Amino acid sequence: MSAIVKVKQLKKSYDGKTVVNGISFSVEKGEVFGILGPNGAGKTTTLEMIEAIRPIDGGTAHINGINVAERPQEVRYIIGVQPQSPAFQDKSKLKEILEMFAAAYGEKIDPNELLASVDLLEKADAYVENLSGGQRQRLSIAASLVHNPKVFFMDEPTTGLDPQARRNLWDLVKSIQKRGITVILTTHYLEEAEMLCDRVAIMDEGNIIALDTPKNLVKQLLSRGFTKKHHVEQANLEDVFIDLTGKHLRD
Amino acid sequence: MQKSFYTVWTFARLNAKRFFRDRLAIFFTVVFPLIFLFIFGAINKGGGSVSFNVAVINESSSSFAQTFVKEAADSKVFKINKSITSLNDAKEKMKRSELDATIVLPADFGQIKSGQYPAGQMLVYYSPNNEQSGQALTSILQEQFNQINKQFVDVSVPFTVKAQSTQEASLSRFDYTFAGLIGFSVIGLGIFGPVNVFPELKKQGILRRLHTTPLRVWQYFVANVLSQGVIGIVAIAAMFATSVVVFDLHMKGSYLTFVLFILLSIFTIYGIGLALGGWAKNERQAAPLSNLITFPMIFLSGTFFPRFLMPEWLQGVSGYLPLTPVIDGTRLIVTEGKGFIDVMPQMGLLAIWSVIIYFIAFRVFRWE
Repeated sequence: MSAIVKVKQLKKSYDGKTVVNGISFSVEKGEVFGILGPNGAGKTTTLEMIEAIRPIDGGTAHINGINVAERPQEVRYIIGVQPQSPAFQDKSKLKEILEMFAAAYGEKIDPNELLASVDLLEKADAYVENLSGGQRQRLSIAASLVHNPKVFFMDEPTTGLDPQARRNLWDLVKSIQKRGITVILTTHYLEEAEMLCDRVAIMDEGNIIALDTPKNLVKQLLSRGFTKKHHVEQANLEDVFIDLTGKHLRD
Repeated sequence: MQKSFYTVWTFARLNAKRFFRDRLAIFFTVVFPLIFLFIFGAINKGGGSVSFNVAVINESSSSFAQTFVKEAADSKVFKINKSITSLNDAKEKMKRSELDATIVLPADFGQIKSGQYPAGQMLVYYSPNNEQSGQALTSILQEQFNQINKQFVDVSVPFTVKAQSTQEASLSRFDYTFAGLIGFSVIGLGIFGPVNVFPELKKQGILRRLHTTPLRVWQYFVANVLSQGVIGIVAIAAMFATSVVVFDLHMKGSYLTFVLFILLSIFTIYGIGLALGGWAKNERQAAPLSNLITFPMIFLSGTFFPRFLMPEWLQGVSGYLPLTPVIDGTRLIVTEGKGFIDVMPQMGLLAIWSVIIYFIAFRVFRWE
């Protein structure tokens, strides 16, 4: 495996306040890489610098060997970006949104095929303002994949979704990974990271304070003598909820 | 290059589609200027005929006076306020300019004097702020009495003045109204539209998202200019058709020249909207600056009242505003039948403004 994303000493500050404090990491091709951290840890800023939409103050980022700061336009052709709260212009039909995004890359696509891949085919002629939150997320993912990117960035993709939509999105992420696309996502849901990510970086106050596979991170914690105060149940409330309400999507 | 064209074309096509599905947008772009057209058109309709708001106070019982009052009521020259019966009431109204003048027929007016024919002196009251209408009214009445006098006393008058219309087509007030409202509509399309839309797109992160794609600013601009051009032609066509049907506007110039001229006008003015909306981070930034730029243009470029009414120095300055050639050119083409070559000065000025405006628009554009 070879690294497709390489970040070295990446720095960003606003008004003298350091938001990203010289972080380094690399992401292997085909990996799902998670960036975890509390609000304000610098996750989104880090993503935006790598996505070439925010100027890099210090350090470098490379995607597929291309320097992001020097050749941003080339980077844009090989990345897909899913924003935190995707929005679309009202009075647009779903298939038109996909046509438009493909056109931004100079490409012509069959919107129906893509819509089918995210379970939205029957909504092809609906207007975007009539979509539910989960449907909007799925449309947004389809829009980010119109040009078959090499790296797919997702910023808190499941925030605000109900448990069914969330599980559905996890399946979608796994299927994207199967297509050979590298996924970098941020989240503050830890079970989501555990479920999806091959490796996670934990960020706090602009620094990466841990980086490993979820399993190893837990192992390291246990080896430091950590024990949970309560006995861990075999199921939790979410399992009860899903068991009672079923897994099928509600929108 | 072909790919770039496809990008621009797709964005333009979908922009236009979205617009024509949006009833609110259609209302503000197409219907709203029509409402102005009806209001200002109704005020300035006809143009030639003058009428006076007057009160008639008849203190005489003579048959001549009665006939005069009746005929005055039928005349188109007078609009008689019948509720006024005393001179004091009339003076009150004249003070507030609700009346142009008051005609008083004294008690002895129209009495037969010296046994031969009726005579008398009519009084026309007017307040100083209505001196022009007062005097015009007096001379109209004098002319009428001259006609009547001739029937009673045959006098030959050595010197006379005869007023005669030149019969040449001249510009009516509606012609100015039409051109001005086309200007207003172009401002609405070109500035108010984008100044509201772009900050909203930034707020929702829609532009930032487009920025993660290889879409170039120029592609986005050209696409928006194209779709706005189509929308603009539809809006202007609606105004034009209404003016022809309802207000009797006669198209004297060539349609092709007019369409090309309007497209250039929309292109130029839309650049101002792109610059403002593209620069502003949010509505709070966009609104004050766009008002600062738009309102002087609306008032100084001849939108609601023609520029020839302004002092000369102001006409000189306002002649260079980007909206002025839009309005002047429209009037020249539509109501004066001028051709492509004749409106070159207007198109030249628009072209110069376009270069300046789009240069700024590209420099200040922000995706978020």
